[in-house]
Amino acid sequence: MRMTMGVFAAAAIAIAAPLVAQQVTGQPARDFKLTDMNGKTVQLSQFKGKTVVLEWHNGGCPFVQKHYNSGNMQKTQGAAVGQGAVWLTINSGAPGNQGHMTLEQTRAFMQSSGSKASNYLLDPEGIVGKGYDAKTTPHMYVINPEGVLVYQGGIDDKPTADAADIAAARNHVLAALAEMKAGKPVSVAESRPYGCSVKYAS
Amino acid sequence: MAVLRFLLTAWLALFAAGAVSAQITPGPHLALELVAESAAPVPGSTVMLAVRARPDPGWHGYWINPGDAGVPDRFAWTLPAGATVGEIRYPVPHRLMIAGIMNYVFEGEYAMLAPLSVPAGLAAGTALPVSARIDYLVCTEEVCVPESATVEARLTVGDGAIDPAIRARFDGWRAKLPRPLGSPATFAVAGDTLRIAIPLPAEASVADPYVFPVTERALDHSAPQSVTREDEALIVSTKAGGGASALRSLDGVLALGPDRGLSFTATPGEVAAAASGGGGASLPTILLALGGAVLGGLILNIMPCVFPILSLKALSLARSGVSERAARGEALAYGAGVIAVCVALGGLLLALRAGGATVGWAFQLQDPRVILALLLLVTAIAFNLAGLFELSGSGAVNRLAASGKGGAFLTGALAAFVATPCTGPFMGAALGAALVLPPAAAIGVFAGLGLGIALPFLAIGFVPALRRRLPRPGPWMERLRRVLAVPMFLTALALAWVLGRQAGVDGMTLGVAAALVLVLALWWTGRLQMRGSGRAWLPVLPALLLAVGATVLTTRAPAGAESANVTGEAFSETRLAALRAEGKPVFAYFTADWCLTCKVNEKAAIETASVADAFEAGGVQVLVGDWTNGDPALGRFLESHGRSGVPLYLYYAPGAAVPQILPQVLTPGMLTALVHQGET
Repeated sequence: MRMTMGVFAAAAIAIAAPLVAQQVTGQPARDFKLTDMNGKTVQLSQFKGKTVVLEWHNGGCPFVQKHYNSGNMQKTQGAAVGQGAVWLTINSGAPGNQGHMTLEQTRAFMQSSGSKASNYLLDPEGIVGKGYDAKTTPHMYVINPEGVLVYQGGIDDKPTADAADIAAARNHVLAALAEMKAGKPVSVAESRPYGCSVKYAS
Repeated sequence: MAVLRFLLTAWLALFAAGAVSAQITPGPHLALELVAESAAPVPGSTVMLAVRARPDPGWHGYWINPGDAGVPDRFAWTLPAGATVGEIRYPVPHRLMIAGIMNYVFEGEYAMLAPLSVPAGLAAGTALPVSARIDYLVCTEEVCVPESATVEARLTVGDGAIDPAIRARFDGWRAKLPRPLGSPATFAVAGDTLRIAIPLPAEASVADPYVFPVTERALDHSAPQSVTREDEALIVSTKAGGGASALRSLDGVLALGPDRGLSFTATPGEVAAAASGGGGASLPTILLALGGAVLGGLILNIMPCVFPILSLKALSLARSGVSERAARGEALAYGAGVIAVCVALGGLLLALRAGGATVGWAFQLQDPRVILALLLLVTAIAFNLAGLFELSGSGAVNRLAASGKGGAFLTGALAAFVATPCTGPFMGAALGAALVLPPAAAIGVFAGLGLGIALPFLAIGFVPALRRRLPRPGPWMERLRRVLAVPMFLTALALAWVLGRQAGVDGMTLGVAAALVLVLALWWTGRLQMRGSGRAWLPVLPALLLAVGATVLTTRAPAGAESANVTGEAFSETRLAALRAEGKPVFAYFTADWCLTCKVNEKAAIETASVADAFEAGGVQVLVGDWTNGDPALGRFLESHGRSGVPLYLYYAPGAAVPQILPQVLTPGMLTALVHQGET
């Protein structure tokens, strides 16, 4: 019960400032709490000291399918987790909308897709999604160990639904992680996200 | 049994409905077709291609910039050797906001147009197969499907004939393309705010303006845009996008209404600082406007239309026997009345602004009908001051106004209401400024105006010393009132002059005649009032009806009434051909109400006396093509002269095979030289 209250408190804060929701690259990323696929509460700040990657997900979206069916997303997840990063897949689809999943469906998806993500978080009210101004699936965010947002945008620079374009694309997330590992600033810190719109409750 | 079957059917229907909403029906959901304007193009020419797209009901395709989600279309052309396809032009898109995410889409049938250059030197009958593979995204509000299609058109080199039915379809599609704005736009980024100034003449009509950015990450698609009209520009203020501060140039389409828009390119530069609606107006600006309004209201007290009401009320307060407390109460009630009416009038104006196009107040005063209405009102007030009739007609108001707080409130309301005709002509600019402020600030300015009007009376109510110094009522008040009629008559005279300038001699005569009828009726009313008749106001009713009739009849004097105007006839290619066949020199120009460069050229060069004289002496015929509404025939003519938009200035010397294309910036000298070049 207390956990639920915490979620609602976070919700209230996020709702209180919906217009300034957009997270600014180079500024601390806003903390949030969400329920994960096992029904446990996960808070962003508990990963301080580690790089965190956020991935907005909708299993029914062809652009998400492009990266999952080709194995590109799992490969990117594996590389990130392999470097010690935490990968949180977030679903902001409202109940009844495309891509919305229950806890059981989420666990099944993690099994069947071969996802290498650290965890899958549910945001059916879209509070965290709107707090991060997540517009598309996929929409990617990279947060450095200090909690500062260092990248937001698309997964790569080829805004298509065609898996054949992946080979020639620049994977912005992998590039950012590699630059962070080398102690360099992230060269492409923002890009245009592409994909389906996040299916928020309207 | 029947009941059971019904239940079963209903249950199945319900199930099926659920299944449909959860699953996507097989595509394609966007029917694409490639059409060429001419199936038999001439070698070395350009033929227009159209990709016609028809989304299924409930589905939408995407614009060149899809908005926050979605992806743009991808075209891969397969063309005959030597042929090229130019830039693909999209029609003006629609906005579709889904759960806070903005999409730029097409919900109904639309067509993308692209010019195909046919290589020269091909023999007639040569096959020209053109095809394109198009990868596109098509969505409903719930689901998105990426699809691809290959479309093809089989052209054959020929005589360039165009089927009239196909031409009509292309003209319909052309009409929906944004028209290129000839003048350069500017943009400025300050913090989180992006402001774009797009040159647009004040007369251009605009409904629900919105900027669709072509340049990526220039502005926040989901953020509201606030639009204000400056004299000769439209200023759009909105939240900057992530890439705005690094932009060297910004391309976009300014929608002016459904399927109507202008494409523009903006470069970093000055954007007029005045008043942006999105809260961008700085506090000093608002304070300045507020201070100006209070001062303006104060000045209005000595305006002829307010002063009599105020002075009579003030004098009644000055009479002995009014307690300190009652005086203050009355002063406050009067102030409340004034401010309430001012705010209500302001609210009305703001509602008009929000409801209709953003038409400036100054523009309203350019309408002769508004001037005529003001003329009638001012004339009536002048004759009232002169004593022809009394404004004590409606008994209830009068009794209430006699004393007490309710009376003071009504007197205040009346003062503010009567003050409006005075504010119109004299404070048009100030009120115009108020109208471009954000609504809350604008209401503040109107309230400030009311406060200014109420200030003297408040002072009299709160400072007993002032009351004692007021002169005692007496016959001198009547004399003062008669004297005050003089400035009011002068105001009427000035308005009659303005009316004459705008509507010509006929319009002015009509206006003065309407004023005469009204005054005769008011005179009658005055006589009935003296006899104490309860129906004293009856004669005014038919007079008012006549006045309204006159107002409706008053129209702007036709263009050409001013001597310096070059009168041109409407352009058509047949008329042009006829004039050229007669061997006459022809000056043809193409303009649009939204084209600032055009308007400047017309004012500064074409419509000057020296040009009119030179053209008349040289027998130059003038043809005017008005492209305001994007007439497709004119559009094709412009295209054939290498222009995608206006202005275009052409001079056909007698017997010349091709016209001389004049520069986009004209001077009278250039035009008069055209006539003289034939003589030398």
